[in-house]
Amino acid sequence: MDRLEWSSVELLEREPGLEPLIASGVRCHGGFDADGRYRSPRTSHRMPAIAAWQARLATDGHALLSIPDSLLPPHHPNVAQARLLLLEGVREPIVRALTMISIVEGFGAIIRDVPVPDLASLVREPIEGTALAHLSGGLFEAHARDEAGHKDEGGHKQMWEAARDLALDSPKIPSDILMRMMGGARARTRRERLFPRLDETLEDMLATMVNVLVIEVFARGTFDWGETLLSDPEISARPKEAGAMVGYIRADEAPHVEYLRTALSEVRARTLRTVDGGDGELLEGRIVVDALLHRALEFTTRQRPQEQRNATRTSITSSLEKVADAARVRSLLERFDALETPFSPSEKTGFEAAE
Amino acid sequence: MSLGLLARFPSLSHAYRTTRAATTAASVWGMYKVPEFVRKRLGRPEPKSLGETHERAAKKILDLALELRGVNIKMCQVMSTRSDVFPPEFVRTLKLCHDAVPPHEFEVVRAVVERELGKPIGEVFAEFDATPLAAASLAQVHRARLRDGRQVAVKVQYPDIEDIVAVDLKNMARICRVYERFDPQPMPLLPLVREMTEHLALELDFVREVDNAERIRAIFAGDTTVAIPVVHREWSTQRIITMELVEGIKITDVEGLRAAGLDLGHVVNALMSVYVRMIMAAGFFQADPHPGNVFVRPDGQVVVMDFGLCKELPDGFGLGLFELMFSMMTMNESAMIRAFTELGFRTKTGDTTTFIELAKRMLRRSGTGRFEGEFTEGMTDELFEAVRENPVVEIPTHFVLVGRVFSLLSGIAHTLGHRANVLAAMGVG
Repeated sequence: MDRLEWSSVELLEREPGLEPLIASGVRCHGGFDADGRYRSPRTSHRMPAIAAWQARLATDGHALLSIPDSLLPPHHPNVAQARLLLLEGVREPIVRALTMISIVEGFGAIIRDVPVPDLASLVREPIEGTALAHLSGGLFEAHARDEAGHKDEGGHKQMWEAARDLALDSPKIPSDILMRMMGGARARTRRERLFPRLDETLEDMLATMVNVLVIEVFARGTFDWGETLLSDPEISARPKEAGAMVGYIRADEAPHVEYLRTALSEVRARTLRTVDGGDGELLEGRIVVDALLHRALEFTTRQRPQEQRNATRTSITSSLEKVADAARVRSLLERFDALETPFSPSEKTGFEAAE
Repeated sequence: MSLGLLARFPSLSHAYRTTRAATTAASVWGMYKVPEFVRKRLGRPEPKSLGETHERAAKKILDLALELRGVNIKMCQVMSTRSDVFPPEFVRTLKLCHDAVPPHEFEVVRAVVERELGKPIGEVFAEFDATPLAAASLAQVHRARLRDGRQVAVKVQYPDIEDIVAVDLKNMARICRVYERFDPQPMPLLPLVREMTEHLALELDFVREVDNAERIRAIFAGDTTVAIPVVHREWSTQRIITMELVEGIKITDVEGLRAAGLDLGHVVNALMSVYVRMIMAAGFFQADPHPGNVFVRPDGQVVVMDFGLCKELPDGFGLGLFELMFSMMTMNESAMIRAFTELGFRTKTGDTTTFIELAKRMLRRSGTGRFEGEFTEGMTDELFEAVRENPVVEIPTHFVLVGRVFSLLSGIAHTLGHRANVLAAMGVG
């Protein structure tokens, strides 16, 4: 069996001798090998480690959980709608959208602050040689560094900014971005606990991992959108570089999805002790992870797309009203709506069994 | 001499205030300069610490403020928040000013209300409580009931406060000019007086305060997690404000909050969300979140009061502050320099690497050595102390105000056993 134990230094180790990736004057993580191929940062040990943990899971007869593509809502606005706006000179909503993506990516760094409880005491079966045992031992930290950057190396936040600036020629950033991001106008409420018998820190950690996994999986739609849009020479000032930048980010995200689904699959394959203590008080990991996944997917496939559609609509309307008269606004919105990608959320998430 | 008696003779009162302020200033100056003069004459080494002298000087200034009130109290309150300028002994002692303002007698208040509304108090209010709910440096607040039955809070400006403020500010500016002229290494006090003059003009204008309250209400329109009292404009003037009486549990009353069944973590989240939204997103905020101005209703709704000190932030400030926090979280030094510069920090030498030292000083107070989402009191103290020690750096005044607000919020959050995490309160992701 391949090696299953890794130190955090190894998991965070960078490939030596790569040509650095510099975008819009910012040195970003990752780089190019001698053949000119892009290599994601901190993957020389992390990827083999994840592969080894996945192989062990399979050897032990457990499935690797997977979120089906069919659940994925289309990106809003879609490529055709975004092109229409840009070609009509309505750039602000797209600049806003790309900037928001960069900020959200940067916020991914808070995963390093997720408290990890003493898993060995809360999980009945051994966890040595698993991704689960390496979460606070390098995996969360690597993920945080990938998203937000580390020291003077930019991460995905800076890479999305670079892609935006390359494609749209360093546009002026609308000053209302944070207002719109916080625009739900509600104080953030704490997540409802689904398993009060479970250790609270453990449930919080699993819920966060599930949410991040869902965001990472659904980000595929955003990557497709960004790559196609920003590499379109009709609307992009530097189509080749801007599109490639999104492609590099997509490549870097692969280990995130893989380590998260591996660790969550390992929990599904185990039993969890409750706060009541003792082996008589156990919860199946599968029931816990599936319930958390079901809740996250329901929100992301049903409530979130509508919220996003409303937010985009407001963003477009307010920007349009600055540059066009009422008749043109109406006409543009009609053409915009005609390009909408139809989407009906799936009846089932596939994780209902645990309900 | 009694100030009440003097108040009947304005020119005598002005002369007394001027003399009293000047003698206190001279006495404080002497506390530092006489021993220094003697020490130099005798060739003795410099003392290791001036802590005791600072304590005595601060006490003298506090006594002056509590006697003369008005601007002097305000000045003490401002000084107590400027650890970038004053030593810790001053900050600690002058903080006492926040809770030690004696109220004016009810007859004085009644006269102001009747003069402002142009009719007897009983024609507007069915009840008017003679004991104030709170007293501050420029005004005090009374509970009352309108004739239509609505419960209100009435904020009443002290009589002649504008005159008193004008005299006191003139005295302060004069004293500071003399001090800066004769002291070989003066502290930069005149900018503080200028800042205060600007703030006081705003705070004395109650019409503007009403506008501020309505602007803040508009930011939270439709948000059921926040309550901003409705102002009754018809019973408000330049010198009194009549507003909806919104009651709640004082935000630092841990036992009261618990007794109401509130989760203290939720309370902190809600409070942070309110201020982060005003500062980072709206660019207009109530800049005085001391515990007397923030309450919580039993349903968890946060109540913010007192909009005398509100501040408009420059365009892009929220994004700039976010970038600064972000760069300090990732220890990205070039991004830190960019963010400090965008926020308006300047160095007199043009050497921007000083900003990195500032950030490192602040982060010394963080357990992990990097920014973890919270501007603690320790971090802002550290920043201001670094600037005080290194006068090469200029901090924009609005950043000082925002830093002070976040540090007050951090104090409240820690009283409730939680962290005032700004990044988490943004609720992104």
